[in-house]
Amino acid sequence: EDADRGASADLAVVEHRRRLLMEWLAWREEIEHDVAEERQELGMPLDPLEGLIKKTATEADGEEEVIEIE
Amino acid sequence: MRPTLLQGHERALTQIKYNRDGDIIFSTAKDQHICAWFSHNGERLGTYHGHQGAIWTVDVDPTSTLIASGAADNTVRLWDIKSGKCLKVWEFNTAVKRVEFNEDGSQLLAVTEKRMGFLGTIVVLDINLDPNAEQSDEKVMTITCEEGKATVAGWSYMSKYIIAGHEDGTVSQYDGKSGEQIDNVPVHDVDTPITDLQWSADRTYFITAGKDKTAKLINARDLEILKTYVADTPLNSASITPKKDFVILGGGQAAMDVTTTSTRQGKFEARFYHKIFEEEIGRVRGHFGPLNTVAVDPTGKGYASGGEDGYVRVHQFDKGYFDFTYEVERQARAQGQM
Repeated sequence: EDADRGASADLAVVEHRRRLLMEWLAWREEIEHDVAEERQELGMPLDPLEGLIKKTATEADGEEEVIEIE
Repeated sequence: MRPTLLQGHERALTQIKYNRDGDIIFSTAKDQHICAWFSHNGERLGTYHGHQGAIWTVDVDPTSTLIASGAADNTVRLWDIKSGKCLKVWEFNTAVKRVEFNEDGSQLLAVTEKRMGFLGTIVVLDINLDPNAEQSDEKVMTITCEEGKATVAGWSYMSKYIIAGHEDGTVSQYDGKSGEQIDNVPVHDVDTPITDLQWSADRTYFITAGKDKTAKLINARDLEILKTYVADTPLNSASITPKKDFVILGGGQAAMDVTTTSTRQGKFEARFYHKIFEEEIGRVRGHFGPLNTVAVDPTGKGYASGGEDGYVRVHQFDKGYFDFTYEVERQARAQGQM
C-alpha cells in the first residue's frame, strides 16, 4: 500500500513532487558534467579509484581474499 | 527487513563504516577495540587492539587494505586490515573525534578535540596504501578552528575541499590543498552541534545530522542547503543510500535527558526519508538506546546502526524497499528521465 501512496495524493502534491524531482535530476546532470570536465582539465581519472583497485584483482577474487582473514 | 545483531562490543557504539564492496563492517565503541564483521552473516572476522581509550572514529580506505582510527588516547592509528597489525601511531594533544580518507586513499584527515590550552584542529596526513611501506610522521597540513571547534569533517570530490561541521551549527569549506577557509555558513540552529557528516557516492554533496533535530543535504561546491529533513528527536547520525533516493537518520534522547516531555521516551528508531521529497517514509525499531551511528552499504544492499546500547544491528533491504517508488518517479523512469 505504501507503493501506491503517490497515487492517492492530490494533484498539487504530485505536481510539487514532480517539480522537485526534475530540479534534482537537472542539478545532478549539471554537477556530474562539471566535475567530469574539471577532472579532465586537471588530468585526473574520471574514476578516482582507477589504477588503485587493480591489485585486489577481479571482484570475485577480491571477495575470496577477504574471507581468508583470521 | 531482517536484522542481524552484532554482539561483541561492551560499550556504546561510536561509528560504523562499510568497506567499498559492502562485505565488511568496521565498528568502534567506547570499549577500546575496533571490530570487523562480515556484513552478510554478522560473523566477527577480527578485532584491532592497541588504543588506550574510547575509540571515537574509524574509516576504511577505498581499496579495503587499511583502516584508520581515532581515540580518546590522543592518537590516530593505522591498521593492516588482514593481519590486524598496527602500522602507525600519530600522537596529538587532544582526543581525535573523526578520521576520513580522501577519495583515492592518499590522505587522511583527523579532527582533534578542543581542550584547555588547545584549539580544535583538522590535521591532514599522507598515507601510503602499501601495508609494508613506511608511513610519514609529518602532519602535512593543520587547520585551526579559532571559533567553533569542528566536530566532524570530510573530503569532497577530487579532494578539492575539506568540509567541516562545527559545534556552533555552522559548516565550513576549506581548500583541500592550502587549508585556507573559503566559506562558513550557518546550517543548523545556532549553537547546536553538528553530529555527523556523510557523503554521497561521488562526494559532490553530503548530509549533516544535528542536535537541532534536523538533517541537511548540502552541495559541497557552494554549501547551498539542498534539502532539510525534520525529525522529532536530536540526531546523531545521517547517511545517504545509493541506488534508492533515501536518507537514513539516527538519534534519540537518552532516558536521563528526557525530562520535559511526556511523549514516548527515547524514540530509538532509524528513520527513512525520501532524499528528494523530504518526506518521512518509514522507521525501523530495535535499539534500547539512542542510535549513535548509521551507515549504508555502498553497494545499496543494506544498512547498519550502532546504539548507545552497545549493539550493532545490520539490516538487509528487502523487496519492498527496492520496490517502493512514488508515482512521479515511476513516470520519470518510464519516460527515460532517470
